Amino acid sequence: MKAPWNFMTGGDWLVVLILLMLSLAGIVSIVAMPEGSRVLVTCGDELCFTAPLDQPRTFGIDGPLGQTKLVIDEQGARIVESPCPRKICVSMGAAKHTADLLACVPNRILVHINGPSGEEMSYDLLSR
Amino acid sequence: MPWNRPLIIGFLLVVLTLTWWRLQPDGEEVRRSRIIMGTVVEIMAAGQSNEALEAAVEAAFAEMERLDKLLSRYNADSEVSRLSQSTNGGEVSLSTAEVLTLGLAISQKSGGAFDMTLGKLKALWDFDKEAPTLPNAAELSAALSGIGPKALSLDGQQLRKASPQLQLDLGGIAKGYAVDRAIAILKQHGVANAAVNAGGDMYLLGQRPERAWRIGIQHPRDEKDVLETVQISNRAVVTSGDYERYFEKDGVRYHHIFDPQTGMPARQCQSVTIVTDSVALGDALATAVFVLGPKAGLTLLEQFPQAEGLVIAADGSRHVSVGWVSYQVVP
Repeated sequence: MKAPWNFMTGGDWLVVLILLMLSLAGIVSIVAMPEGSRVLVTCGDELCFTAPLDQPRTFGIDGPLGQTKLVIDEQGARIVESPCPRKICVSMGAAKHTADLLACVPNRILVHINGPSGEEMSYDLLSR
Repeated sequence: MPWNRPLIIGFLLVVLTLTWWRLQPDGEEVRRSRIIMGTVVEIMAAGQSNEALEAAVEAAFAEMERLDKLLSRYNADSEVSRLSQSTNGGEVSLSTAEVLTLGLAISQKSGGAFDMTLGKLKALWDFDKEAPTLPNAAELSAALSGIGPKALSLDGQQLRKASPQLQLDLGGIAKGYAVDRAIAILKQHGVANAAVNAGGDMYLLGQRPERAWRIGIQHPRDEKDVLETVQISNRAVVTSGDYERYFEKDGVRYHHIFDPQTGMPARQCQSVTIVTDSVALGDALATAVFVLGPKAGLTLLEQFPQAEGLVIAADGSRHVSVGWVSYQVVP
């Protein structure tokens, strides 16, 4: 008895190859998730800046009180200078996980980390 | 036609279909943040249409911003500021009347532990300035003059102040009320699963995919740790703690939750968490229980069968109401 592939024509092989490549592409895209996260900065109610989390940089964001300085480095995104009175935003440390948030309420600046959820947290939100 | 050809192609089509299905999102989720009422408000809403969710979240934010303009003592044009400046009160909007009605009820039931007449006291301490300072005894005495549950009364939408100097502060309840209203707006827009979180005062509507919401409760002395996690659906969670806003002087922590009897920060608790059916109620109860302390605070909660509480006392000991255990999922 002949092996099954001996019955297949060139066209059959082409169809099989295309389907195989599409399936592999799908599987690779599943395995490759999550993709890189981004830093989103909101000034007032407007999105005013966005940048990849994995590319180090320093930049200033203007708010009603003055300029807030944000650093993106291997620690994540963090506020290092702020014109607000109590500097709570500076003491918040780095944000690097999806849904992490830094806020300078007096200068009306919000910094979010946006991206696919990475590690599984034991809770959805924190009451504090 | 060879027998194996449809078999191979069929197999590959099944793999392709499964892969495509796996890549499809379970539904849409919109997550937006905004600074309202001096805090970060975050709204998460899940559903099938991204456009409908965006519209619902925007409407919820708009309602909270409307209430901020009405209820904030920091806004000179707000209704609350107008009432504070008035000689003996005046007519208030329906929203303000709702807040005042609930606030006055909690104020009376808590024997004044929750108090909406601390405007002068809060302005005196002023935790928003760069270097808050300790007020002296004379300043405290002046700020506490004429305050208390009997200093305000409401008849329909007519508010009466006992004295012209009385300054209102709805900070202990307005944020919660605004979250409740935001949830109502989301429901009106057909949203069934959502969370509105205003600086830790939150309402969890519906659930996450396939399970209830899990809410971590901040450890009052370790900011990187959670005390425990509660699993809830269609409930409010509110925490008040002495770690939220404070300064230290000579090794003593001075925080922003005041005992109306003394004008000083309440000293019997580190934190109080309330789970109940409305954020406004939870907000007011959390403050009242914090001021009363674990024993009297949990006794107060017995008057509210819809509310459960977790109290961490000043010595770090844990106290809970009888029904608290039904929410707790992780010690």
